Amino acid sequence: MIIKNLTTTLFCTLLITIAVAQETTTIQLKHKVGDELLQLGTTSYTNQWNEQFTVNKFKYYITALEVEFTNGNKNYSWHKKYHLVDEANAASKTIVLDKKLNNIKAIHFLLGVDSIVNTNGIHTGDLDPMKTMFWTWNTGYIYAKLEGQSSSSKAQAHSFSYHIGGYKANENAVKKISLLIKDNATTDNEIIIEANILAWFNGAKKLKIAEEPICHQPGKLAMDIANNYEKMFSVKL
Amino acid sequence: MKTFKVITILICLVVVGVGFIEIKKHKPTPLIFIVPKGWPKPIYNFKNNPLTVEGFELGKKLFYDERLSKDSTISCASCHQQFSAFATFDHNFSHGYNNTFTTRNAPALQNLAWQKELMWDGGINHLDVQPITPIVAENEMAETLENVIYKLKKDTSYKRMFKNAFGSNEITTERMTKALSQFMVMLVSSNSKYDKVKRGEDTFNLPEKLGYEIFKQKCASCHTEPFFTDLSYRNTGMPLDATINDIGRMRITNNKNDSLKFKVPSLRNVDLTFPYGHDGRFFTLSNVFEHYKSNMQPIHNTDILLKNKLYLSNFQIGQLTAFLFSLTDSSFTKNPLFAAPAYTKPIILHQH
Repeated sequence: MIIKNLTTTLFCTLLITIAVAQETTTIQLKHKVGDELLQLGTTSYTNQWNEQFTVNKFKYYITALEVEFTNGNKNYSWHKKYHLVDEANAASKTIVLDKKLNNIKAIHFLLGVDSIVNTNGIHTGDLDPMKTMFWTWNTGYIYAKLEGQSSSSKAQAHSFSYHIGGYKANENAVKKISLLIKDNATTDNEIIIEANILAWFNGAKKLKIAEEPICHQPGKLAMDIANNYEKMFSVKL
Repeated sequence: MKTFKVITILICLVVVGVGFIEIKKHKPTPLIFIVPKGWPKPIYNFKNNPLTVEGFELGKKLFYDERLSKDSTISCASCHQQFSAFATFDHNFSHGYNNTFTTRNAPALQNLAWQKELMWDGGINHLDVQPITPIVAENEMAETLENVIYKLKKDTSYKRMFKNAFGSNEITTERMTKALSQFMVMLVSSNSKYDKVKRGEDTFNLPEKLGYEIFKQKCASCHTEPFFTDLSYRNTGMPLDATINDIGRMRITNNKNDSLKFKVPSLRNVDLTFPYGHDGRFFTLSNVFEHYKSNMQPIHNTDILLKNKLYLSNFQIGQLTAFLFSLTDSSFTKNPLFAAPAYTKPIILHQH
């Protein structure tokens, strides 16, 4: 009995040691609407055009992630990963980098999916079309999705639905995002990135739910909305 | 205590032994894709999806499996029938879930390894992606991918077949569609009388021979040999059907110049694939000829070759028809290799 207890204790100690040794840097994504944390469902928000809305779905792809250090070097350990962030899936809002990274200067990633993946068939994992981030009538990934309801919308059930994608030359909606973490050296284990949904509605394009409640295909409107939402991210330390 | 030790050691040995059996799994048998003589190199990338007998058999089982649809009544083969060169026989529109119609005429499935884009409007950019479209379409199989994979995972015979084809019994959308592609790329039709004549194994009769000459003069610039399509999108003066509002290629490109353009269909097995046109509005070949001869309604982007319609005398129509019938490939439409596997439910064809 004593031996058994001792073994268990030793085993646990070993596990804890491994966990501590494998300290990692994580990126936490926080979704906000203005100053409020996003709540899917019935919580009502107001956009820049005084339109009230609720949000049912908020998803987007983070791919080709690179970490840049203050000395100019880069870490590409996540570069080949395709990560779907989904407000409805809390775990998806944490990106665990391979190890603890110090002196991070900036983070770069694509909001969207590269053209090769858009054109070479079916993929698995977060890119599985089962994730419903995929157009089945006009092949291509949906890079970002924002759906909800608004009394301003004249569409069925007062819905609004923005599915943004497009990889062809005149329809490209992939956005390269670069976020400066800190000018000085940092040893933080956690980087918090906020994504603010209000950015979707205002930018070069004044997106009013009353006027354009739906975007379901690549093209000009999708590119305009992508130009707006590429500015939705900010870093909080 | 000693017995306990012995048992433990024995169990360990068995576990390790089983592990070795797993490691020594047999490799799938490669399947050779034969490019008919004189045909171009296929577009399909076989490196990303190497053909194997096991993958092909799995693809065939999936192709004929009604469980891919919401209420398990519709398989790929319901609308792509072998005896009709894998089109829907005698239907302008195919029948979808819950008494629905598709909005387009199901095309024949043949020589798909050479097709860069699929669908009448070219909206699908890869053969592996194609099966997803009918599976999730509300007026076709009306199912979700999640449910399809769930149903496949519950079937032990699929587990075995996925393992034989791909090395492990993991069932994913990617593997399912790759297996379907392995079946579909094998649907090569290259053994019609026309092909035999080209190979010097047969000769045309007089009407066929005359028809071929007319064909080369009047049709071949779009229905180009050897596929009898150049796979381009063209407006052939077919006015919009307001009940469907199908604008064709423009839906994909958002370009006004692509309005009412549709992919040039292959004429291989044309005798078996009626009705014709993207919406099946032509029930017979003579309807098609009448369209080109007199009924066309050319608009701004109607094909330059058809601006003044396409005059054909009744005599020419007769000869052309004789030639077109020589494109029927019964060794393809009757090849048991492509028929429903014996261990799935026989397909029930619509009786109407």
